[in-house]
Order: sequence, then C-alpha cells, then structure tokens
Amino acid sequence: MQKTGYRRFKIESKPAPHVYPIPNKFDVSARKIRLAAMLAHEAFEYRFNKEVVLSRPCIYGVFGGRFGGFKPLKHKCVGCMRCVQEYPHIMTVKQSDSYKRLGDSFWTPENVFAVLNEASTGKIPVKGMGYKGAFSGEGFDGMWTDMSEIVRPTRDGVYGREYISTGVDIGRKPMSIDFVRIDDRPKTLEIPVPIIFDELPNGTENADVRVAVGLAAEKIGTFRIARDIRFGEPGLDNLLPIIDEGGIADYGEEQPEIVEFDAERPDLLKKLLARFDRSILIGRLPFKEDSGSIACELARQGVDGLHLYADYHGHDYSKDARHVSSALRDVHQQLVREELRDQVTIIASGGIALAEHVPKAIICGADLVAIDTTVLVALQAEFQGETRDRANCRLMSRRINPEWGAQRLVNLIGVWHDQLIEILSAMGMRDVRRLRGDTGRSMLDSELREQSFGAIPWAT
Amino acid sequence: MGNLELIVEKHTEKIHRGLEMLSTMRHGVPEGLGNKRWTGELILATYEQALTGDIPENGLEYKTGNSGGGFDVLDWKSHDGSAKVDEDRVDLSIPLNRRRDGKKIEIPLPIYGGGMSFGSISLNFMIARARAARKLGTYTSTGEGGYPDQIVPYRDHVITQVATGMFGVREETIQYAPIVEFKYAQGAKPGLGGHLLADKVTSEVAKMRESSMFTSLYSPFPFHSVYSVEDHKKHVDWIKTVNPRALISVKVSTPTDVDMVAIGSYYAGANIIHIDGGYGGTGAAPEIAKKNIAMPIEYAIPKVHDYLVSEGVRDNITLMASGGIRTADDVAKAIALGADGCVVGTAEAVAVGCTHCGNCERGRGCQIGITTTDPELSQFIDPDWGEKRIVNLFNAWSKRLRIILASFGLETIHDLRGRKDLLVRYM
Repeated sequence: MQKTGYRRFKIESKPAPHVYPIPNKFDVSARKIRLAAMLAHEAFEYRFNKEVVLSRPCIYGVFGGRFGGFKPLKHKCVGCMRCVQEYPHIMTVKQSDSYKRLGDSFWTPENVFAVLNEASTGKIPVKGMGYKGAFSGEGFDGMWTDMSEIVRPTRDGVYGREYISTGVDIGRKPMSIDFVRIDDRPKTLEIPVPIIFDELPNGTENADVRVAVGLAAEKIGTFRIARDIRFGEPGLDNLLPIIDEGGIADYGEEQPEIVEFDAERPDLLKKLLARFDRSILIGRLPFKEDSGSIACELARQGVDGLHLYADYHGHDYSKDARHVSSALRDVHQQLVREELRDQVTIIASGGIALAEHVPKAIICGADLVAIDTTVLVALQAEFQGETRDRANCRLMSRRINPEWGAQRLVNLIGVWHDQLIEILSAMGMRDVRRLRGDTGRSMLDSELREQSFGAIPWAT
Repeated sequence: MGNLELIVEKHTEKIHRGLEMLSTMRHGVPEGLGNKRWTGELILATYEQALTGDIPENGLEYKTGNSGGGFDVLDWKSHDGSAKVDEDRVDLSIPLNRRRDGKKIEIPLPIYGGGMSFGSISLNFMIARARAARKLGTYTSTGEGGYPDQIVPYRDHVITQVATGMFGVREETIQYAPIVEFKYAQGAKPGLGGHLLADKVTSEVAKMRESSMFTSLYSPFPFHSVYSVEDHKKHVDWIKTVNPRALISVKVSTPTDVDMVAIGSYYAGANIIHIDGGYGGTGAAPEIAKKNIAMPIEYAIPKVHDYLVSEGVRDNITLMASGGIRTADDVAKAIALGADGCVVGTAEAVAVGCTHCGNCERGRGCQIGITTTDPELSQFIDPDWGEKRIVNLFNAWSKRLRIILASFGLETIHDLRGRKDLLVRYM
C-alpha cells in the first residue's frame, strides 16, 4: 500500500502506574467485637452455611483478605458505603486522613488525585452520577463553557471522524502582505497542543525530572522552558530557553528560533532585538495591575510573545491580587482595543492545574498555557507545605526513571488534549485558535447570578 | 433454595434494614456519606421520606444541600408560619399540554421521572419507577436504552425517549407512548452524546439496543438529521404521523442561548420544553463535562421563563426543569423561578438506597442494584419495595409543597410560578 505521509495528530498514552505509594482515599474500619458477634449470629441464622455467612457486603474485595472485615483491604475501597448501609452499627467508612492531607491550600486532594490518575492511565476521568462539588468558586471555578444545542460544524470529537485542531501558533503573525519580503517565513512556530512545560520551581529540577520533561516535550512536539541549555540531553529541539546577556554570546553567529527573556528589563530587549532579529522573542513578566499597558508597549517595541505568569495558586502580583482569569482578560482586551492582539502570542501560567483550566484560560485571552507545579504533581513529587511561588517551593521532586516520567507527562497532556476536544466538540468548534478571547463562549457565575437572581431580595 | 439465592436474600434484607436504621440517626450521619450537593444528611433525609412518606421530624436537613450556590443559597421569604389556606385543598396538579389542540394530560403533582435507560439502570429499578409513576398518576421516561417488554404493562405512564442513538426506537414503542421525548442533550454531558460503558452491555442490553455485547455504545451528538428548527419540526411531524395522540417533549441542555432553543422548540410544535441543567445526573460522563459545560438549572429557568413570557407564548407551553433537583424545596424554588414542574432522577435512586458515590460505571456497576445490569446485584431492588419507596418519597414531597404554598396563601402550584418575590437569597 502506498504511504500517504499523513498522520493524524494523536498523543499515544500507555499505563504508567504510580511508583510511590499514594494514600488510600478511604479508611474502612469495623468495630471488631460487634463484627465477631454478628458473624456468630449469622452462623446460627444461616445454619453454618459458610458461603452464605462469609459472603461479604462489598463487590470491590475490601473484605476479601484472609481476615475479612477484621483487617479490611483499604486500598480497594471506593467509598460506595454498602458495608455501612448493611451494617451501620459495625462499619465506618470515611475519607482517610492521609488523603485529606494531600496538597496544599490550592491543590485540593481531589485535584491531586485527578492529576495522578490522568498521568497514570492517560484516560479521561469518567464517573457515574452528577457533579458533586461546590456550585461555583473563584476564577475558573466561577465560569462555565458554552455548548451548541443543534447547529454544529463538527461531531463525535474524541471518537470520531472530523478533525478538531488543537494546534496553536507562537509568534507574530503578519498583519498584511509585504511583497518585498514575500519569501520570508512568518515569525511563527506551530505546536500541536496549546500547552507547554514551564520552567520548574527553584530546587525541584533534578536531572531525572529534567530529562523526563525533555523527552515528553519531544514526544508530544511541544516546548519546555528552561534557563540553561545542557547539550546532549533529550528534547533540545523542543527547548524554549530563557536567556540573559550572558546567554546571548553562547549563540555565536546563530540565531535561536525562539527565546524567552525577562521583560522587566528594557535594556535586555534592546540587545535581543539588535542581535536576534529573526528569532521569536517572548517577554516573560508577572501579571500585575499594569500588565495590559506593558504588554501593549512591548508589542509595539517588537516583542513577538508574552509569557505572563501568576503565582502557583493562580493569583496575580497586583496589590489586590486577582485570579489569573481576570488578569488575563484585562491584558487580552487592552491588546485588542489597541489593535495589537495578533502581533503577540500570550502564554499564561500559574494555577493551571486541571484540564478544564486550559480552555478557560484560552477563553480569557491566552493563546496557550504553560504548566509548572502540575508537572511535579504528575511525577509524584511530595507536598511538604505551601508552594505559592518559584522561590519558596515545598513540592519536592523525587528520584524517578526518566522514561517513566516522560510517559506520565505524555499521558497527562494526552488526556488534557482529549478533554480540550470534548469542550471544543460541545461548542461545535473545529479549531482551538478560534476560542481565544471568545468570552461569549463562557458564562460567568457573577453575571448569571445577577441576571437570574437579581430581582430576588437579599435575606435579612 | 440455593446458596446464590440465600446470599441475595441475605444482602437484600440487610440493605433494606440498614436503610431504615440509618435514617433513625441512631448511628449519626456516616462520615463518608455524601458530598456538597447531596450531603450525608440530605441522603438520610431522603431515605427517611422514602420509608415513611412523611417530612422528617428527627432534625435531618431535608430542604437543601451545601453547595454554596443555586438553590442552596435561596430561601423562602419569612412569614408567620401559619397556613393561610387549607393544606389539603392546595392543588399541585399541572397540565402537560397547554396548547389548544391535542390530548389534555394533567399530572397530580408537578413532577415526573427523568430518562434513565435500560442498561444504565437495572430492569428491576426501571419497573419500580414505572409502577411508582402509575401509582402516583405521573410518568417516567425510558431513557434511550429501549423499551423492555416488562415495562409494557405500565405504558400509559411511560414516556418514550427518542435520543440520538435511536436505541430501541421502534414504531410500536412510539405508538405506546402518551408522551414522546426528544433528547437533544443531557445536562451532565451537554454536547457530548451518550456513553454506555462496555461492561454494562450484556446480552439483554445488546439485544434491546441491537448492538454487540460488551462493546461501549456511544450516542452521537447531535441528531445527525437535525441542524435547524425546521429539521426539528420534521422530527416532530414524524412522531405525529406514527402516533398522532402523543404529546411532544423536547429535552435540551442549558447553553447561553437556551431561551432561543426553547422558543424554537415551541414553534416546532413541542408541548413540553424540558431543560436539563449542567449539574444533572448520569450513568457515566466525563468529569470535565459535569462541572464545566453549560449553566446550572437555577440560572436557566428564569432565562427561559422570562423569554417565553416576553414572546407571549408562556401559557402555551409547559416548562419542565431538571438537573440537580434533590428536594421538595428545590422543586418549589424551581417553580418560583419560572418552571411549571420538575423532572427527577437521582432523588428516585437515592430513595432506593443510592449514596451518590459515583461508581455507577465501575465494573459490575452499582453495589446495591440500581445502576447495574449484573444479574445478581439487580435483585437487591425488589420492584414492589422500590415502588413503595419512590411513592413515599413523592408523597412526602407533596406534603412539603402543600405546606410551602399554604404558608403563602397560594391555592394552586400554578400560582407559585415565577414568584421570585417569595424567595430571598444569601448570595
């Protein structure tokens, strides 16, 4: 058969089970004297019919060990509560203390488990029954994405026939046709998913983690951001280096395809513009009150992209900290107003912890996102306290097999990609680029509440 | 009696007795039971109502959950607590056909059962729901998994659902139906179609759905023959040709333009517009869809109601709401926000012992026989027992609805519709 050369983009996941033990979600216990009494009672009731007496109130095998209910196999418990329903006077099931201690004030145990399981299985989390959580919340939790009821240009997203593109461009798009430079390549690079790996927090980047991230970036075809280049390590073609004056000289006569730099230093930008006129220059700067104005200024000066970062809990660095979703909308809208939006790519990072945060950040105005602590969580790093910013990270990476780590990250991005397609599919969109800044594709709790409950008086 | 029968009998008895014991609160609220939407207390209060047919008097919270928004931050305007009309005289009935033409159908309480398909739930639970609907004089829906023969005796109280997979949709099942429901979308997974995981596709389910055993079944989204209101009208005409007596219900999710969808459905000939909010139930759905896609029902109801009023057609169509209706107070609040009535699914499952644990899709399915096709587990739900518990639950809800209406001096449930002024909010 003739090869066409065509390959539909798909991230190949395969199981990469946890290598460090994760806490049991549930703690099952029995009151032992009552359990013994119940067994004795049932022995008489069922005339010592062993099969009936010892048939257990669990279909997941929690009591399938040698000592049955006296020593339950807690790791098998899924919290169905049937044992409690059958024997409320004997059995107790609750969330385990070690599970409840997972994470920090931002990373809830549920979110840690979600990332761990996505990295382990590469499968979209599917469960029965309806949503169980809070009605809404701060930032992304106070936002719902839209769907199209009837008219849809695409269908059967994840499983189906019609291709939904998740590719995005990084760089400055040509605003008009320049016939003098018609043969020049536009200063853009395309990656197949709107997710890149951000520089890891200080002190967490051991050699194994670094190699794992490099391999994963290579397999997926996305970028990883790092401050230093170590020749010979995997994924060099997928490196997005952060450079300073010292780093400029390392390139000799060459020009890198893409670099990040500290955008709070105007002198550095001038040097980079003079030296790397063909490179895609991404300015890295924190989200603050005046990020919109700075973004516009940088775009006018010739920067091709902005990497705006919030802290690891998704809050910006303004005096009155806002969620990254608000900060992002402000920057995007100011760039739109000043007709500069397509001249720069926006990479947003900080607090991107769940699959749903990707489309929501894009709706708020990002072109793509960068993930940071999420990488460490997927690689089973250990929470040792609050991890809010790069300089004070209490999320400690562990020794890992880089191949295993790479597969965990491939699984994570694969399953986030599939979930992004679910969201796009529900909207009837075939291209993630169209979602950028399309706030009409979202519904905000604050707005809907006023529209629907505005006429209802406050309780006194 | 063989050992298998003895084992089933033993656990059935223990589960039933345990449900009775739990709601007495003798052992408190089990720590691991419930979540923010269905709190442990709310689950136990539902068990208690399903047992007694009365409003709980043991201090259990039976009115709201703890989600921090929506129905949970709405309450009733304060009043002196005394009944201003005789509670027994309060009329809870609603008409399901408000158009001039077509069969007039009225249900004695503003509630009917939502679609839960054969395959996603056990046959015994399906029969229990159908029997309860008959006893209460209301309806239940087949969901999209077909119409098992065992349901046929209750067909005067069964809505046939026509969904995108068209599973089990046959001429006779449309002809049986007093109401035919088009499912365009489902609140828990709007825009994504249906999904029955392979483990649940047993030989019976596969036969009913004319598919292969133990192969995952996807219902596409949307109807591939409907891309406009005109296309939808053709669908309605198709059903009307096969069964001219049937009322038409259109079940949709809650996108930004849900009001437009509602009006389009009305002009296409629907008798009932059924909006299913984002926090609704399901046998299996991606977690990302449940939490994030489409708006909660609390916000969609006023949007649709107000728009239908402004278009001058509100009194020609019945607006049913679903997707997170857990209690009688939720029903009353939904009506005060503008619905005519509510469609309920999860609460019926809780009435027969569901703990809202969310393991419906896992392995053999529900551990107590609700959302499973496992032949052994399915037997835990005895249809007679299930019928009684569902009937009891709705009797208790009816009592609570009467108390709410009487306290405001309202004689009919219709008088509550759109009365936002009787509500107060905490957020």
